[in-house]
Amino acid sequence: MTTDDPIIEINDAAVTYDGGETFVLDHVSMSIERGEILGIVGESGSGKSMFADSMLDAIPDPGRLSGEIRYHRDDGTTVDVLELSDDELREFRWEEVSMVFQGAMSSFNPTMKIGGHFRETLKAHDADVTSGMEFARELLSDLYLDPERVLTSYPHELSGGMQQRALIALSLVLEPEVLVMDEPTAALDLLMQRSILTLLEDLQEKYDLTMVFITHDLPLVAELADRMAVMYAFQLIEVGDREQLIANSGHPYTRALLNATPDIEAPLEEMRPIEGQSPAPINVPQGCAFAPRCPLATEECRVEDPASTQLDDDHAVACHYAEDARDEIALHFDRSEETVPVSGGDGS
Amino acid sequence: MSRVDESSTGFDQHDEPLISLENVEVHFEKEQGLSDLFEEPDVVKAVDGVSLDIEENDVLALVGESGCGKTTLGKTTIGLQRPTGGTVTYKGQDIWAAKDGNGEIPFDEIRSSLQIIHQDPGSSLNPNRRILNILAEPIKLTHPAVGASERRERIHALLERVGMNPAADFADRYPHQLSGGEKQRVALARALLMNPDVILADEAISALDVSLRVEMMDLMLDLQSDFDTSFVFVSHDLSNARYFAEHGDGRIGVMYLGNLVEVGPAEQLIGDPSHPYTNVLRWATPNLSRQSGEASEPPMRKIDIPDPVNPPSGCRFHTRCPEAREACQEVVPQLQQSGEAAGHRVACFRDDPNHSYWDSDPLTGEDD
Repeated sequence: MTTDDPIIEINDAAVTYDGGETFVLDHVSMSIERGEILGIVGESGSGKSMFADSMLDAIPDPGRLSGEIRYHRDDGTTVDVLELSDDELREFRWEEVSMVFQGAMSSFNPTMKIGGHFRETLKAHDADVTSGMEFARELLSDLYLDPERVLTSYPHELSGGMQQRALIALSLVLEPEVLVMDEPTAALDLLMQRSILTLLEDLQEKYDLTMVFITHDLPLVAELADRMAVMYAFQLIEVGDREQLIANSGHPYTRALLNATPDIEAPLEEMRPIEGQSPAPINVPQGCAFAPRCPLATEECRVEDPASTQLDDDHAVACHYAEDARDEIALHFDRSEETVPVSGGDGS
Repeated sequence: MSRVDESSTGFDQHDEPLISLENVEVHFEKEQGLSDLFEEPDVVKAVDGVSLDIEENDVLALVGESGCGKTTLGKTTIGLQRPTGGTVTYKGQDIWAAKDGNGEIPFDEIRSSLQIIHQDPGSSLNPNRRILNILAEPIKLTHPAVGASERRERIHALLERVGMNPAADFADRYPHQLSGGEKQRVALARALLMNPDVILADEAISALDVSLRVEMMDLMLDLQSDFDTSFVFVSHDLSNARYFAEHGDGRIGVMYLGNLVEVGPAEQLIGDPSHPYTNVLRWATPNLSRQSGEASEPPMRKIDIPDPVNPPSGCRFHTRCPEAREACQEVVPQLQQSGEAAGHRVACFRDDPNHSYWDSDPLTGEDD
């Protein structure tokens, strides 16, 4: 799966709102491979949106982002994202790395037809409008929308699922390399969410995209992702190949999260909530932030914040007792009959 | 926990369902612009001919995608939405006849027996009042004789019961000082203070983080047995509906464009779904046991639900159904007993091995 061809490298990214005392993104490093679908999972207030925003240097004021974000172009050149001017950044955000947020309704101007949004975007970036609109129609068809109907509609004339798909098409009209999506389907019903996921999979293949999909819904993104990362208390606590992370996760929080998720087939009595609450930025515990809720925590955990360590190939966990967690926290869904592939088949 | 009220109506009606819906229709006229002033208004058939009973201590989960009518059906069940056709009865009393003053059970009593908790608890809690005052309101209403200190005691006991400790601290807070899960607990506590027979939980856990959903459902189920309450649980997520209904030993009902297309015991419906649409919902439910790369194509022919103003003829699912045949375009299939399991009913011709469906041609085209 790992091809050692990173498209975005995030190095020690940290976001603070009070000048360095408390962090809403706590020194996170991550490498995103060209052409992969990366799923980032975290509950509300875990810092996952800050992670997304930092990739585009788009932290809402008055937050301050430190660290390094490097973007590697196809042609071998590298962009230092945090050094870009405002104009360069505006270009970068559509033409290289594009972003889709939850709730299309607030992203579209309600008084402008969908077609107008496409034309404005193309004009603002000095792109050829005729060929651009041609491409827009193709993207809309890819997303199972009727291009003529959608382009001549006002946003409110479309269902939520259609709006969100139109927004995904809009975000791709300038042919970016990377699509970052922050809870892009959370406002939609499950059937539309799953349908959009299958369409994203098709788009990724057709246009060779790199995708970062950020959500609180672990099982949802597990259907789509090649690789997954879990955030807890503003840090990345586990990163790995999708199969490893689901069937063989090493962090007690990841395992608890998997067990807390209602599943259509798992035995009912084995689904249980995670005790306690995740911490607010101002009172993240010393040591491992999950220790107060962790069944395996020891004195060591309460004192020393575990560093991220390699557990398997392409599987890193920040836990002092990752091996024990695998033994002692059983997962409620049954994968034992199946052989877990060590690596994906198509990571070319 | 002291029961707030035992008197109720005094009727003993064990053979009668708590709530009974008989061929209920809810048709809305769509809002129109000025230019449409002289045209016939568009009519949305949000619920179209549904019959259903809710028993005491019952659990019913209603599932379906946005626009299928599940919330409207839920609200009609608890007397919040007046049907445009058919009847809804509470303990044998027509709810809307009571509303019009022709009932033996007063409408106010019916309304307070049937409560709702919403998806967004924030919007249903007055932001300017402390939790204590928000929860005092229903007690003042139902028990005007209860003094302030006893009221406070009851509220604290109930807050503790819904897992909000220390209760005194939470009682002093304003809604914005609570997390989403805590607000939902307050909304549940407030509903329970009315000593309801039925609580409609309308997507009540959808806005919560995945890890909090099981906890909230467990709490509702615990309280269901403590308080002798029935639940109508509306959700677009089949795995949540399954968790709630199977734990509560209840049923799942599947809605599609205003029709109930399948209803049955939770375990039966999940394990052996009979309607192709139930199967689609099952596909839409993420499953951790599945290997990656198995994210297969959806078992339906179109992604978008048809316009409810102009629903398809015959079986309303035929335009998306992978199993649809010409017979499905003509006649609306009725809800009928399916297989052996008691109470498992489905509205699909495929359930009848002798139906003319089997002799008609499959539909495959885009515009069928």
